[in-house]
Amino acid sequence: MTVSPLGRDIDRVDGRAKVTGAARYSADYPASDPTSKMAHAYLVTSTIARGSISAMDTAAAQNAPGVIGVYSPFNKLGLRPMPGIGENYAPLEDTQVRFRGQIIAMVVAESSRQARDAAGLITTTYDEQQPRTSLADEPRVPAAGPPGQPPPSATVLAPGVDSIEAALAASDVVVEATFHQPMQHAVAMEPHAVLAEWNSDRTQLTLYSGAQLPHLGAMAAAGRLGVPPTAVRLISPYVGGGFGSRVMPWYDAALAAAAARQLNRPVRLVLAREQVFTVVGHRSAIDQTIKLGASRDGVLNAVSHVTDASMPFVGYRHMQPAVDTSAVLYKTPNLSIDQRHVMLDVPPTCAMRAPTEAPGSFALETAMDELAIATGIDPVELRLRNYATAVPGTGLRWSSKHLDECYRVGARRFGWSARRAEPRSRVDGHWLVGMGMATAIYPGSRRPEPIQARVQLFDDDTAVVSSATADTGTGALTMLAITGAHELGIPLRRVTPELGDTALPPGAPSVASAGTSTTVPAVESAANAAIAELVTVAITSPRSPWHGANREDLTYEKGKLHGKGRSMSFGRLLTTVGRRNVEATVTAQPGPEATQYRYHSFGAHFCEVRVNRYTGEPRVTRFTTVVDIGRVVNAQATRSQIVGGVIFGIGHALLEDNPLELDTGRLAASNMADYMVPVNADIPDLDVHWLDRPDPVINNLGARGVGELGTVGSAAAVGNAIYNATGIRVRNLPITLDKLL
Amino acid sequence: MRAYTFTQPRSVREALAHADAGAAFLAGGTTLVDLMKLDVMAPTRVVDINRLPLRGIKLDRDGLHIGALERMSDVAADRNVRRDYPMIAQALELSASAQLRNMASIGGNLLQRTRCGYFRDVTTGCNKREPGSGCPAMTGFNRTHAILGTSDACVATHPSDLAVALVALGTDVHLATAQGTRTVPLDTFYALPGSTPHVENVLRPGELVTGITVPRSMWAPHSVYLKIRDRQSYEFALASAAVAVEWRGRTINQARIAVGGVGTTPWRLPVVERALAGQLATADTFEAAVRTAADGARPLAHNAFKSALLRRTLVRAFTVLAQSR
Repeated sequence: MTVSPLGRDIDRVDGRAKVTGAARYSADYPASDPTSKMAHAYLVTSTIARGSISAMDTAAAQNAPGVIGVYSPFNKLGLRPMPGIGENYAPLEDTQVRFRGQIIAMVVAESSRQARDAAGLITTTYDEQQPRTSLADEPRVPAAGPPGQPPPSATVLAPGVDSIEAALAASDVVVEATFHQPMQHAVAMEPHAVLAEWNSDRTQLTLYSGAQLPHLGAMAAAGRLGVPPTAVRLISPYVGGGFGSRVMPWYDAALAAAAARQLNRPVRLVLAREQVFTVVGHRSAIDQTIKLGASRDGVLNAVSHVTDASMPFVGYRHMQPAVDTSAVLYKTPNLSIDQRHVMLDVPPTCAMRAPTEAPGSFALETAMDELAIATGIDPVELRLRNYATAVPGTGLRWSSKHLDECYRVGARRFGWSARRAEPRSRVDGHWLVGMGMATAIYPGSRRPEPIQARVQLFDDDTAVVSSATADTGTGALTMLAITGAHELGIPLRRVTPELGDTALPPGAPSVASAGTSTTVPAVESAANAAIAELVTVAITSPRSPWHGANREDLTYEKGKLHGKGRSMSFGRLLTTVGRRNVEATVTAQPGPEATQYRYHSFGAHFCEVRVNRYTGEPRVTRFTTVVDIGRVVNAQATRSQIVGGVIFGIGHALLEDNPLELDTGRLAASNMADYMVPVNADIPDLDVHWLDRPDPVINNLGARGVGELGTVGSAAAVGNAIYNATGIRVRNLPITLDKLL
Repeated sequence: MRAYTFTQPRSVREALAHADAGAAFLAGGTTLVDLMKLDVMAPTRVVDINRLPLRGIKLDRDGLHIGALERMSDVAADRNVRRDYPMIAQALELSASAQLRNMASIGGNLLQRTRCGYFRDVTTGCNKREPGSGCPAMTGFNRTHAILGTSDACVATHPSDLAVALVALGTDVHLATAQGTRTVPLDTFYALPGSTPHVENVLRPGELVTGITVPRSMWAPHSVYLKIRDRQSYEFALASAAVAVEWRGRTINQARIAVGGVGTTPWRLPVVERALAGQLATADTFEAAVRTAADGARPLAHNAFKSALLRRTLVRAFTVLAQSR
């Protein structure tokens, strides 16, 4: 009897490979041809933020031991920018300096140390200009994104209301608050790295490089190198953390590949940790102003959310923090969002851990806490009074929404009723104790674009499930195996999952927490198609016991075909008819249901903090998160995803910060000691719970996304708890002890 | 990292003979190797002293003797240290990470370089790294920088937790050169930056730290090291306090106090010590005693909070110590 692994606690199928070091990450690959000697590249980055390079002395580097090539704007590699993909310029193609830490040269040598040492011998002379760095002072422009992204501003007004200002003015209670958060970085453990190898006539390129979208990585490299997309294969089975920083391809792969093509040798390029902070994108610095207008009993009449996010002149991430927060979370007759960019000479931005929703929810959910205080209503009750059953300004309903249950279950698990609304009312020894809560909301829809999955059934009763999504450490590989085992009704150990290779059918982008909800229906369809193929073999193969039977005579269940009084496993049937395997590749895409509903995952966070009475440091001591995410595929990975998300939220609230020097455009932190994320000692046991509420619309399994949900709202829950502990409202992240003294 | 000559002497004499002008001694390597990778330090010769017999954690009538090559984690785990000098064990355990403590030596700890981001970034100026090249921390990002003992040339904090505890306890440092040995009080070992921030201590060229002696005292067994920072591990102090008290009932007979994270060197507070001496251990006593603790502070744009934080850290340390008496 095979029990489906779906929804159970399943160890990662690649866990052993990871903890034993057998798993190969990008920089671990040797040259595939042992006779072709690998060369090593090292980057040189700019030390000014704006201007141009007037001269570069590379003579010493060129003559340094082991050096094979030095590339710069004066010895170009001929890369082309790809409009609409990542940064809007190609490095080394001109002398312009667009931000501090921009790639301005690359040294290739026999060893990585020789390349690094030679890079240190290059001297650069600049014509320097004053960089534009101030989020507060530079001009604002609409935060218009690429086609398909929602408009940057939108207003919904009730009949007879002239403006959002009029709606606010007519409200009994108005809360207005302005929030600031600094630049933040993904700081994935694995630094960005690539090995680029061409075939002997230099027509086919293989890249080994961590990617959240393997096919996009290959396509971007091809475009930048001026070769057809079919000429590039990208292999990325293990990714040492994405968090958005491996969505858009940076120029490392194209640079290494261009040098490899010129030198006719495999080239490996590994970014130094400090280079990851500028060559790879970060999350914009963001200022936000929220205005809430409500009745005395806390019913919202108006919500206004204005955001100003830094946008680098080099591109690329469009920050719209209000779209999936203030525009959808609460019922309000009057709503206005206005999202703007401030163009700056800073390194590129990118998606990062609930890119817009985490900052947006910090502002909105902090403002809601302020409204709870202004109206004297319990924060949970306030949210229930403003519960939305349809997206504001539309009649559109959600596919499935049980957020109210999250609030109630979470409040009970956490012991919310013990909270005292009055700040500073609980003291335990040297510590002020406070409780806070906030809502989590994150898009839960399937990706709109078509993706593929392939299922192969083999004569040894095993199956291979393939779809070139990425596993950034989330457990996507295990999800593929679980889904395959569930759909085929066979034990998990007989399923081999494959992903992270553009030679496989293109899979779901590992973005927007949509990997699972998008992949699951594709695997289901592929499994059904492979079973149909198996039935065809059964009724058409002369040696099959079912030769000549009708399709309807056969049923498939738990790895076996049944019919006409006999049963046979698929492996046995394939062996009997002399076939190694059957397979099916399908393309899956959401249908009209995609636009008939809105899809979000929801949750409620409850947090207890302690703030030292003497020295002010805030410490999170308890945290409960209850989520509504549809069907769970892997309980263990789901818990890990939510725990990880909440930890990001705690870091967002208390630690993460990379100050930008306004006069130089230099970032203060360039390593993982100075750029602080939480350590284990900062994190208590996190209580995570999910509702058993499969989504009836999104896919047959009912699985929505979970990954980034825990990050949304958790920072506000921490900040709200700090207010409850201290009576101090900090709207300028991170909430460090100096702001609580 | 630049090419260098590597030697592994077996005796102190041999090591000192190798200590030429461009040489650096290598013990745990947690500072030196890090800074060599960043090109902040570029010795032409690295003298690996790990084979030298500078070991041992011994307690005798004079006090606690620790060899310069003892690892931080071993000293922190030593039974005598934990019993008679608790603040030393606490300062060590609150430093760095377990991995670093397993490697880093006591001698090296006393000589570790500042964590100032400009010192570590060779694309910026830094008077400590390159005399005369300026101090961008003055106008740059300086939340973690010093408020006491600073000069117009340098505002970098001294990074060591251990040194703060040792200074409070009146520790001696034992030094050796090819010409002979000498002993220097740790309190006078460190140099204020003044106009020469690259000179951080009184070490002579080629001089080697061979060990330390922490004297016995009535106050060392009643001591605490309190370290305040944004996260609970793997971060340098925003402020720290090493406080040792000799009690007479509920009265403080005498106290020894040093603070970290706020000064360019481990910072003694004799005025606060005097204010506590002979006083009853009450909240009022503590508040009164710390009133002048940050006098003379020269705050910068982002670190002005450290004056208040320093006072509160002291009051908290006094309170912790009084409650555990």
